[in-house]
Amino acid sequence: MTSSTALWYASRATGVVALVLLTVVVVLGIMVSRRGRLPGLPRFATTSLHRSMSLLAVAFIAIHVVTAIADPYVTIGIAAAVIPFASPYKPLWLGLGAISFDMIVALVATSLARARIGRRTWRAVHWLAYACWPVAVLHGIGSSTDLRTGWLLLLTICCCAVVLAAASWRIGTAIAAPGRALRPARALAAAELSSAELSSAELSTAGRQATDQRLTTAGAR
Amino acid sequence: MSMLAARVSDQHRSQDSQPLPRRAIPAGQSGLPRLLPPTAQLAAADPRRSLDFAAHLVRHGLPRFRGAALIEQAGAAGLTGRGGAAFPVATKLAAVNGAGRPAIVVGNAAEGEPASSKDAALLWFSPHLVLDGLQAAAEAVGARTAYLCLHAARRQSGPDLATHIRIALANRSAAGTDRASVELVEAPPRFLAGEESALVAIINGGAARPRDKTRRVSERGVEGRPTLVQNVETLANLALIARHGAAWFRSVGTADEPGSMLCTVRDPDGRVRIVETALGTPLHRLVWLGDDVQALLVGGYHGGWLAVGAAGQLSLSNADLRPAGAMIGAGVLVALPAAYCGLAETARIARSLALESAGQCGPCFNGLPAIAAALAAVAEPRPADHELANLGRWAGLVAGRGACHHPDGTVRFVASALSVFAGEIGEHSRGRCTAVRSDQFLPLHAAALSESDWR
Repeated sequence: MTSSTALWYASRATGVVALVLLTVVVVLGIMVSRRGRLPGLPRFATTSLHRSMSLLAVAFIAIHVVTAIADPYVTIGIAAAVIPFASPYKPLWLGLGAISFDMIVALVATSLARARIGRRTWRAVHWLAYACWPVAVLHGIGSSTDLRTGWLLLLTICCCAVVLAAASWRIGTAIAAPGRALRPARALAAAELSSAELSSAELSTAGRQATDQRLTTAGAR
Repeated sequence: MSMLAARVSDQHRSQDSQPLPRRAIPAGQSGLPRLLPPTAQLAAADPRRSLDFAAHLVRHGLPRFRGAALIEQAGAAGLTGRGGAAFPVATKLAAVNGAGRPAIVVGNAAEGEPASSKDAALLWFSPHLVLDGLQAAAEAVGARTAYLCLHAARRQSGPDLATHIRIALANRSAAGTDRASVELVEAPPRFLAGEESALVAIINGGAARPRDKTRRVSERGVEGRPTLVQNVETLANLALIARHGAAWFRSVGTADEPGSMLCTVRDPDGRVRIVETALGTPLHRLVWLGDDVQALLVGGYHGGWLAVGAAGQLSLSNADLRPAGAMIGAGVLVALPAAYCGLAETARIARSLALESAGQCGPCFNGLPAIAAALAAVAEPRPADHELANLGRWAGLVAGRGACHHPDGTVRFVASALSVFAGEIGEHSRGRCTAVRSDQFLPLHAAALSESDWR
């Protein structure tokens, strides 16, 4: 194996691992944004897992980009790693890679500087994550034939399915959840209803137990 | 003591009966009023006279203490926040000053408490004292930018307070004494809008919701900078301490709670007075506590009810009020006439407090509605037996579990009603109510209907 093929293998392998990691990061990010919980983990663990996995993904992407540029078999050029469509080799597909790389840099940089730039700016930039992942996947499918056949095709399909499922769950819960402005009014309507209509002893016991349950399990923000 | 019938609009005055005759006004206290104009001048009651900056300087003089010396004087004076929490001002000033970065100062007149109007009265009658205090605080913590937050709804009725303050600011800029720029901000009429982190959220362009206390406002507030939030009455006191020093400030009040306090007093006839009084003044000298009064609400809707007999023994100090289940808060005193049902009034306010939950913390937005509904049942004749038991248990489940003190304050208010109106609870359980009037006595804001009401 020549050094060139080693670089080529390294680039492909880290690319595939980065795909899996980015998929996990996106799903965890959706969990965090909807205040979801992973089984057996406290809520803050989802957040720190999301953070650690994204830093790990960045490490793999860095190796992926460096090995791809260093591989003498094709000419990509250092500039093409960050400037979209500047590569002489497969300009469109590597351009998508450069775009997603730039977006990842923006996402990580704003997250690290979140305390300084403020939550609103950070949040606005973080919406890029939803654009970044599909662009990265397109880059993967387009620039190498690996993902189009065999078990890597299966992996790609799985990643897409998982992200699609998580995204539709996010949209669904966002629509179903009452806005903060309406939460107290909704709870009040329910409480007044159970107090007024459920006057028989066993029904009011059920209503009381339901409220007890809500209050004992509800965490402070 | 000066009792000032300040020009405060009172839309909640009882309307279906003859107003009761005005009570005798007690004799004055020496050295007061400090914050408001003298009683004799106020009789003319034209707030536009307060806009004259030169006349203000003639009355109050120029500050002697600045910067670190002022922080030291505020500490020696024992000045505490007048917005409700009574936090030591010098500690806050030193914390923001010690953050070591360019700071922001916010004057708080959001006055989310519906029963309070003393901040608006202070701004109408002594705008320059508040603005002096804002500048003095800005200088002490090294801030070049200051905000003054006003209650937005007051704009609706009568002349505009924001315009009044803008004219005062224009008069000052002609004199050229101010170093920090002052921007006016309007806070929505939400109960929690005056909470300091909610106020910071408004200035940062968000909704008027308190945030959790993992990041203190004094470290990271407006634009992420160290931020000093002080009630406007606190700032006016600071402006006077800058002129006269700590010993002068301590010449009224008690040793533990020195100084004066602006109180919004609602008499049993429904009239509202703004009173500047020394801390430690007996409550019976501030508000009528005769036979036609059944209970006194002290500290507003996060405060507590006192039975009239108990209130007659207490003075306006947290040392007296806290053991009795109340607190000075923002200086709200409401004398509830005997003609009203205390339980029904408390239930109506508790319902509104439940709806004023910011909807962020589960114990608050689930618990307060449950408590309000149970209290509403108790306020009706012949409540089911379990409602009282539910109230006690749920109160224990929500206290201390919010990002802000809204659940704690609401529980304190409801718990005090259960003990002060225990006799009425007994009547209700027998199917009777002693009230002869069914209209509403305690004032409220309009409820929030959508997200836009929080902005």
